[in-house]
Amino acid sequence: MIVPADRATGKKVQLMATCLCDAFFDDVAKATVQVLEYLGCEVEFPEGQTCCGQPAFNAGDWSAARRMVRHAARQFTGSGPVVLPSGSCAAMLFHGASLAFEHEPDFATVSDLAGRTWEVLDFIVSGLGVKTWEGTCAKKIAFHSSCHLRGTGTPAAARQLLGSLRGLELVGHAEPEQCCGFGGTFSVAFPHVSANMGLLKLQNIRAAEPDLLVAADMSCLMHLRGLAEKQGHPLPVRHAIQVLRDALVAERKIHHE
Amino acid sequence: MATKEEFFATISQALSANSARAPYPPYADTDLVAKPRVAGGSAEAVFRKNFAAAGGVTVSDLGELKAELARHDTKRGVCDPALSATLGGLDIEWTTTFDRQRPDDYAVGATIASGAIAETGSLILKDRATCDRLAALAPWVHVAVVRRADIFLTLPEALTRLGDDPYVVFATGPSKTADVEGILIQGVHGPGAQIAWLVD
Amino acid sequence: MNTNEHEFAVPHFGQPIDRFVATISGEVYAAVHSASAIKSDKRAQLLAADYADPLKLRALAGQIKQHTLDHLDRYLPQAVASLERNGARVHCAADGEEARRIIGDLLQQRGAKTVVKSKSMATEEIHLNDYLATRGIESVETDLGEFILQIDGDTPSHIVTPVVHKNRRQIAQSFERHGLGAYNDEPETITRRARRFMRDRFLRADAGLTGANFLVAESGRLVLVTNEGNSRFSLSAPRLHIALVGIEKIVPADRDLGVFLNLLVRSATGQQFTAYTEFISGPRADGRPSGAEELHVVLLDNGRTDILGAEYREILRCIRCGACMNICPVYRQASGHAYRAVYPGPVGAVLTPLLAGEHFAQFADLPKACSVCGACGDACPVNIALPDLLLRLRDRAKRAHAALSARGTPPMGGFAAVATHPPLWRAALTASRLANRLPLDWLPVPPLRAWTRRRTLPEFRGGAFRQWFKQRGQQ
Repeated sequence: MIVPADRATGKKVQLMATCLCDAFFDDVAKATVQVLEYLGCEVEFPEGQTCCGQPAFNAGDWSAARRMVRHAARQFTGSGPVVLPSGSCAAMLFHGASLAFEHEPDFATVSDLAGRTWEVLDFIVSGLGVKTWEGTCAKKIAFHSSCHLRGTGTPAAARQLLGSLRGLELVGHAEPEQCCGFGGTFSVAFPHVSANMGLLKLQNIRAAEPDLLVAADMSCLMHLRGLAEKQGHPLPVRHAIQVLRDALVAERKIHHE
Repeated sequence: MATKEEFFATISQALSANSARAPYPPYADTDLVAKPRVAGGSAEAVFRKNFAAAGGVTVSDLGELKAELARHDTKRGVCDPALSATLGGLDIEWTTTFDRQRPDDYAVGATIASGAIAETGSLILKDRATCDRLAALAPWVHVAVVRRADIFLTLPEALTRLGDDPYVVFATGPSKTADVEGILIQGVHGPGAQIAWLVD
Repeated sequence: MNTNEHEFAVPHFGQPIDRFVATISGEVYAAVHSASAIKSDKRAQLLAADYADPLKLRALAGQIKQHTLDHLDRYLPQAVASLERNGARVHCAADGEEARRIIGDLLQQRGAKTVVKSKSMATEEIHLNDYLATRGIESVETDLGEFILQIDGDTPSHIVTPVVHKNRRQIAQSFERHGLGAYNDEPETITRRARRFMRDRFLRADAGLTGANFLVAESGRLVLVTNEGNSRFSLSAPRLHIALVGIEKIVPADRDLGVFLNLLVRSATGQQFTAYTEFISGPRADGRPSGAEELHVVLLDNGRTDILGAEYREILRCIRCGACMNICPVYRQASGHAYRAVYPGPVGAVLTPLLAGEHFAQFADLPKACSVCGACGDACPVNIALPDLLLRLRDRAKRAHAALSARGTPPMGGFAAVATHPPLWRAALTASRLANRLPLDWLPVPPLRAWTRRRTLPEFRGGAFRQWFKQRGQQ
């Protein structure tokens, strides 16, 4: 994974909500705004934003992916940080795009966006220098370290922030590196492989008996949650940023709108 | 069939499109050494530890060898002619040539090793020093006589001193397989027991 | 062509690997999954225990191998000169057919009837055994795993542990069927029986056939890394040794072997060192009673040069350790035979379509059989960016209009059109809420059916966040 060095930081941030949060998980995008504002950030939401291009990139349609990345680059202008509540969309912008634009004339424009892109937990810890999180969360939490976080600061940041909550117990599970099986269009082109991978992941997570499954990417959580519900045995899931936001609400540090 | 020149030309042509050829990276042989493996004393002590970890047994004198061989059925054996006087004291019927008609007659084979590697727990068997490749391979028990002074501490030392022998084997413990359900079994086609006799 | 004779037929619908997984037996899955997990764990633990920075070592290995490949026009002639100086005869084979003929001719000219073969993926790649049989030459697989496959008429499903897809019960049945003794599924008994059976074959064989893990350009040494002693026997008993070596196996000097042996063995079997590392630089020493009197080295191109000249060249660094497949969550579900070729798993998904040359499209589905989890890239001991290569091949397949690659993947053109027009995007978000009232499980939209058969969809809340964000701005 190519993670750009010396990424742009600062308190004037642009939020890329991601298409999944735009379509399904509005509370995750909301929590991202609430947490960033609590930390003193001014959050801008460029209205013209859509998708980072990852679905097309992984599907092999790089021409379509480039159109979407170019569109994103046009929406997120400026020099400040671009923050996303998704490790895989962030990885698309700083790693995937570098592959898809290798021979393109506007490689520099895309690299510039890559140099400003952050997954939100990584941004909180490494961009803003926040090392602990106050509040209580009396729950046993299993953290799924999503595959696209490999080589990024997010897994450590997530463990650091979640781990500092009072009463929160992080429980490990077997085969922690195992993918959830989503993989974008992979999940529909390879439904058996994908579902089997997810069920194996669920089995390992359930063996640890957590109250809640937490990740830094709604795509993995959407897949695991969907499998669990179809099994007739639902599993509560939450994005890490929601857990942080909920702790602030419980402490009455912010008001949940 | 392609001539060598045609073969080379195809490769040169394929590479001509490659504008950025990777340079040879600098490194030190010490970068390659597994430090925890070589910690803890002399080359001999390290060899003993790692050879044992690979399933081998080290002995220091004829008495120890005799005791070790007593654990196996070793009625007949084949040995290097240079060793027959020394090994004569053991209750084994020795011959000095390997008869291919009776490969399973030899329960033990004794040959001279050219050295050892402490880091990996390996014996170094070279063709010119080995009386017969089959004597070091076919019997269930292989005894390799190795001089203490010939133990290299690290693998890179041994690799850069392979010399001009046409056939060198680093033998690290008995032959083994895990092909059936990943279960480790010692003694497949080569020795099931590997003994190193350290001498001065 | 790089196909496997015993491959399963490409199904008429669905992704071939997914169809294979849909019908895989529980026994095969359990065997492959647990063996893979154990090997992956051992590899990671051993590397971490032995090296302060294993990543530094693998970066070095990747650089040395890439350097060698990028200068193969220098190292290959050097290797040939070194081999010849050592007394070996060198033959060059542009493809599998040439390699087969060269080996067949060498054996026939010497009146060879039986050869003992040590495990070699290159010989699998060119389907040597079947060819030799047509020339009346019996080729006996001597590695225990390969021997089991040979008596079963089966093919390897893994490049290091070829019989990982079979359990002891199945192996014991094969042994019984082939007259190797009454049913006994003790691994130790199975191993002893193979030892006894093979003795005679080794001693009577006319030639020993091997591959090579490395070929050192400077010294002209072939290096073999094995555990069972079968390759030592193959090089000790017969008078003739023929080695088939892919041109990507070259490393510059003996010294560099330190880098590769340390990484290969730990990555392949989770051992520090294999039982036997053999260095062959020529026929047997003068006056020795055993060992080959003649050494022939057949250098194999078979599509490698085409890869060398293109953007996928780093795949040729591969040292065939199998770590990428052991850790791959798709391989763990699918097993090696699902990949329809000699090289399975992530490395196979890259190498097979590339080695297929003009038949690329027939294997263009393989790079799609991956959730892009990246585990293989982290495990590779020579630092090959496998996930990137898999993604690049998807792009290539799309540009080549490879139908097999496209199967089941929803077309992205329409999505991209909506995603580059914000008003359309916002309208689609709002409209998506209607889907909450539709019986999605029953809609005849294949991707949707594929999803909902095993999972539920979350509630559509398209545009809800935008609304919230806008409203609070107005307050």
